[in-house]
Amino acid sequence: MSALCDPPGAASPPRPPLSSQELAQEIKAFLSGVDPVHGTKLTLKEHARCAILLLRSLPPARHAVLEHLRAVFDEHVCTHLLERESGEAGLGAAAGRAPGPSLDDVVQEVQHVLSDFVRANPKAWAPVVSAWSIDLMGQLSSKYAGRHGVPHASSLNELLQLWMSCKATRTLMDIYTQCLSSMISTCPDACVDALLDTSVQHSPHFDWVVAHIGSSFPNTIISRVLSCGLKDFCVHGAAPVDLLFPTAADKRVPKIASVVGILGHLASRHSGSIKQELLRMFHESLGPMRDQHQKATVPFLLQLAVMSPMLLGTISSELVDSLKPSVLNQLHQHFASLPREDLENMVSIVVHLICQTSAGAYRILQFLVNTAMPASVITTPGLAVHDSVREACDRIIQLLLLNLQKLVYNRGAPSLGDAPPRPVPFLDELKGHVRELCVETLRLERKRFLWQHQLLGLLAVYCAPNCATDALFYLLTLAHSQEELGLATQLYAVLSSCMTDLLPATVKKCVCQIHAGGLPEQHVVQLFHNLALIVQWEGEGPASMSTQLGAVLSHHLHDLGQLLLHRSPEVAEAASLLLSVCPMPRAVRPAHLLVIVRSAVHQFFLVLRRQSPTSLSYSSRLLARLSGTSPAATKAVLQQLVEGALHRGNAELFGGLGEAPSGDEAGLEGARVSLLDTNRRFTAAVNFSGSVWSVFHAGVIGRGLKPVAAAGGRAPEELAHNAQSFLSLLLRCCRGGRYGPAEAPVPPAAGISPEAAKAVAVVLVESVCPDVTGSELCWPPEEHTRSTVERDLQICRRFRDNPLLFPLLRLVAAGRPALCYCSVLLRGLLATLMAHWEASRESDTTGSPWHLQASCALVACMAEGSLLPPVLGNMHEIFHQLAPFEVHLLLLSVWDYMRDNSPLPQKFTFQADRGLFFRDFSRDGDVGKYLAVLHSVLHKNIDRLGLLAGRFRT
Amino acid sequence: MSDIRHSLLRRDALSAAKEVLYHLDIYFSSQLQSAPLPLVDKGPAELLEEFLFQVPKERGAPAKRLNSLQELQLLEIMCNYFQEQTKDSVRQIIFSSLFSPQGNKADDSRMALLGKLVSMAVAVCRVPVLECAAFWLQRTPAVYCVRLARALVDDYCNLVPGSIQTLKQIFSASPRFCCQFITSVTALYDLSSDDLIPPSDLLELIVSWIFEDPRLILITFLNTPIAANLPIGFLELTPLTGLIRWCVKAPLAYKRKKKASLSNGHPPSKTAKDSAAGDDRDCHQLYSKLHLSVLQVLMMLQGHLTEKNLYGRLGLIPFDHVVPLVEEINRLSDELNPLNASKEIELALDRLAQALQVAMASGALLCTRDDLRTVCSRLPHNNLLQLVISGPVQQPTHGALPPGFYPHIHTPPLGYPAHAAHPALPAHPAHPAHPALPAHPVQTFIPGMTFPYRPIR
Repeated sequence: MSALCDPPGAASPPRPPLSSQELAQEIKAFLSGVDPVHGTKLTLKEHARCAILLLRSLPPARHAVLEHLRAVFDEHVCTHLLERESGEAGLGAAAGRAPGPSLDDVVQEVQHVLSDFVRANPKAWAPVVSAWSIDLMGQLSSKYAGRHGVPHASSLNELLQLWMSCKATRTLMDIYTQCLSSMISTCPDACVDALLDTSVQHSPHFDWVVAHIGSSFPNTIISRVLSCGLKDFCVHGAAPVDLLFPTAADKRVPKIASVVGILGHLASRHSGSIKQELLRMFHESLGPMRDQHQKATVPFLLQLAVMSPMLLGTISSELVDSLKPSVLNQLHQHFASLPREDLENMVSIVVHLICQTSAGAYRILQFLVNTAMPASVITTPGLAVHDSVREACDRIIQLLLLNLQKLVYNRGAPSLGDAPPRPVPFLDELKGHVRELCVETLRLERKRFLWQHQLLGLLAVYCAPNCATDALFYLLTLAHSQEELGLATQLYAVLSSCMTDLLPATVKKCVCQIHAGGLPEQHVVQLFHNLALIVQWEGEGPASMSTQLGAVLSHHLHDLGQLLLHRSPEVAEAASLLLSVCPMPRAVRPAHLLVIVRSAVHQFFLVLRRQSPTSLSYSSRLLARLSGTSPAATKAVLQQLVEGALHRGNAELFGGLGEAPSGDEAGLEGARVSLLDTNRRFTAAVNFSGSVWSVFHAGVIGRGLKPVAAAGGRAPEELAHNAQSFLSLLLRCCRGGRYGPAEAPVPPAAGISPEAAKAVAVVLVESVCPDVTGSELCWPPEEHTRSTVERDLQICRRFRDNPLLFPLLRLVAAGRPALCYCSVLLRGLLATLMAHWEASRESDTTGSPWHLQASCALVACMAEGSLLPPVLGNMHEIFHQLAPFEVHLLLLSVWDYMRDNSPLPQKFTFQADRGLFFRDFSRDGDVGKYLAVLHSVLHKNIDRLGLLAGRFRT
Repeated sequence: MSDIRHSLLRRDALSAAKEVLYHLDIYFSSQLQSAPLPLVDKGPAELLEEFLFQVPKERGAPAKRLNSLQELQLLEIMCNYFQEQTKDSVRQIIFSSLFSPQGNKADDSRMALLGKLVSMAVAVCRVPVLECAAFWLQRTPAVYCVRLARALVDDYCNLVPGSIQTLKQIFSASPRFCCQFITSVTALYDLSSDDLIPPSDLLELIVSWIFEDPRLILITFLNTPIAANLPIGFLELTPLTGLIRWCVKAPLAYKRKKKASLSNGHPPSKTAKDSAAGDDRDCHQLYSKLHLSVLQVLMMLQGHLTEKNLYGRLGLIPFDHVVPLVEEINRLSDELNPLNASKEIELALDRLAQALQVAMASGALLCTRDDLRTVCSRLPHNNLLQLVISGPVQQPTHGALPPGFYPHIHTPPLGYPAHAAHPALPAHPAHPAHPALPAHPVQTFIPGMTFPYRPIR
């Protein structure tokens, strides 16, 4: 250090000690400012030299010399600033004044002397010199603060640059630094005390000094500043009553303010050290040895925190971590003796501080809540906190909640004219922890969930609407029981009074979260279950969450409907549950409706395949409700259902043949037939094998018959159950006609609505026989069937492949007159069966059981649909006792009847009293001629069928 | 006086102070002409306190403080005044009226100003001021003297490096002041704690002074009319007791200091250790030198005492001061681990024994061997001390003593109580001759010479 600072003249040998006469002369010269020999006035420089001489040789003159040197430094700074100004103005050094460097060497000499002194005896000199230098710096920076060219106090860096470029102030700084570093190992308090005092005096202008010194000796400055502040606090801390809002008259404020200011400067780079130091102070204060300082430490730290949010932020989180039960108990002992008002005061400060804490707020909350919780049996006895500590924490929490409530509700509605409402950092920080809070609350632990629930409410109001929706969303998502779900409704009840549109926003948030994929599947499931539960709650007023939620949810049908096809079956099930309980709006946009219907139907079949009864019930209920919303919806549902059931993929559910067996495809694939290839060679050679021409209904020529498709491998009971489920659902959907949400009791007599039946019929026709040529309702002569053999065969095979078709046909028949629209199917079936029986060479119809069954079903169905008159419609009862040809003849007579009496809907009349359509066969003329064949067959087989003759009498 | 005060109130601090001095001078000059021993009445003292020491007279009145430059000016003026005042008596009375402690709140600034004044006088070698200060040290309670000593030591030994030379020079200018300074310094630094070990510069200074002329120690004693009942609470007549304390306790005190710095957890760096060790060695030599000088002075003393007819009546080294010294040595040697400090303890006890022996022999210490035995009984064993306590087999030879003048130290004459009987027996029937001088017993038995005796204690 000294090597750097040695002035140029320092190398010269020290002059011999002055004689006493010379010294007396020098004193005279110094005091009068006049050269004693020549009688001329001393220049500034000579005068300063004289002063330095006295400093070296006249100990009692040191204060006077230091006083004098102030003026020298002042002059130097003044010169420096003038030079700077003129330099800036482009005038150079033309400002008539003696050039600056003149004083430089004096300044340097002073530094040299003082640093020698400090080095020789730091204990004696450092306090004096440091106080002098720091005070002088304060004085200079205050004096020149307003001057042109000196940056404003707020721009610390520029200020620092300016003053450090000035030789005088830099020297002072060096001197102080030397003092401090020489005392650092023993007791730098004296030096730091001076710093604090000056900082109080010259506050904003002096900050650069603090900043510089602080960054040079961060640890010392931090610990010493704190200890000096504490000392000062103790001295003035006789009446720590008005800690929170100290009056201006309070003397303690300035010093602690400068402590705060200094630490504030250091915080940017040394917050770690500050934190450590504060914590160290805190823990030391709890030690067994109690003196005045230790007692005042905690109030002091609180006061610091009140004054500086930065310090508060630095310490709060760490402090909480260190508050172990033992520490808390110590703290309790420590304060047990304080008077009541002081304690109240401290608690209110603590609460205030907690409200102001941002970082680590959640940890603080956790700590408070954990500590305030009554001891449970599980707690280790040794680690438990004292009962009164717990009570204190309890009290703090209550006061905190109260305080937060005041803050939150007193903020008023933000209007344009107002300043933005005062922020509450504690709540701001907790914003990010809504989820954890909700999780904690849902644990429903004694006491604490009440606090947390209340806090959630405050948080929600504080940063409405985001937090409110978040909180509700989490509660709804994470609740696992009725009781837990109750928290959500309670919260809603609290919030709904002061917030509008809360529920729509919440539901929207839920939907967005789900669609953004931000929610794990089991949470989605839980959420849907919870929502469904709430919607189903009864006995609440019109403003209750349950009612409103239904209404809100119905706006999101479309979004929820998409989830029916979620890849996770649980989600889909939950979605269907929710949709099935959610009230349907009166008008749904067709596009949305179709989407929902399609997904619901799809899901229905999926569920059917998975054989889950609950899902099945949700699904059917949903479809039933959907179909109830509007005629269009009914139609859509039915159409989708039937199409779905007949779909090849689903057919096997009902015992039908599924997809074409893959072996068939493999065969074709194996031949690697290229259509182009085949066409090219078409003329060249006849090659039937494997070409399109060689594929017939029975199989590929040259390969034998098609292998019979394996039945689905399902048990007959299962098939029956599936069919049963499907048909009962279909029936429920068909019993429409009561549209709208009102759930009027279903009249028992009401059968299948004709419209619904018609819809089913249309779908049936479309899916079984897409070919429309010759599909008019009227029946052609029997000969015409030859032209439609192919189509008829196909229809018959569909019926054969899918056993569900006949029940469907029955269902259509039940909704008279809808069966008329299936006329082409009936015709095709009949024609094929007739052909079969005609060609059959077996003695008994039971030889071909399917055909027998189909013939019976067909006739019965037509009778049900009032396409055949009663007697004619009953003849299927004897089919199994006849010969194939006889059946052929009988069926032929059915054909004839149909050809003569076309199945047209116009022939039906509506009977309002029964709500059904009926057909009056008497208007169609005589049935007798069509019964002739029947009667002759009865005659022929009178031995077996005689018993039945009465049944076929007209 | 009040009109003076009013005129002073209008002035600035410096010129008011000057004016006060001026009025004081006039006042005392005239008083001295009328009466040889003027009484200092309250008026001037109050003026002094108000305008020189800046103690506000009325509550709430803003005190006019001298800044340090003005103070320096004032000091210069005062120095010059005492220099130029030719009348010794005026000088003395003004000095004492200025700086005698009054037991009020002005005393602090009084002492501060005195410290600076004397310090400045030392620097610019103002003999009259130093002489006045020497008298002041004689007449002022020791607590204040110690403060002055501390101020001077701070200025010249601690603060300004190299300035100790300036202090050294005043030996030739004012030996009387030097002697009083040494007394006050030994009263200040009693080695009772690490802080109260004299700085090495100071030690060197004093040793060099005494070594140069051991009689320096006795100057005050020789030049003062002895009022035999030495008032309590004032400095002693000679620094002998203090110097013996230094020499005896020094080995132990330095050892303790070293131990403390080691146990402080600051193991000194190697160079610091070396230099400290070097310092210690120097100091030990200095103490040896000092011890020798002290012994020489003690031997000289017998002659002077006899000359002044005080032999056996004036204990220059009061036994009352020896007792605590022995106790402290005892405590210190207990405190230090005897195994580690045996050498130092040995040295200390050797010195103690030598000093006691010579002091008793020269009549500076008035006590019996039995008294000593009681006091020293608990000290660690030391051969020399044992000898001294039990008394020599052979008469110690004393060059300074006239032949045949051997004190019978170990055999108290018949009729003497072996133990101290009572401290104060003012009307002892045996010696009505010297009512003014409290006679002290000596153990010397000189046939043909009747000394009034009185058992100590």
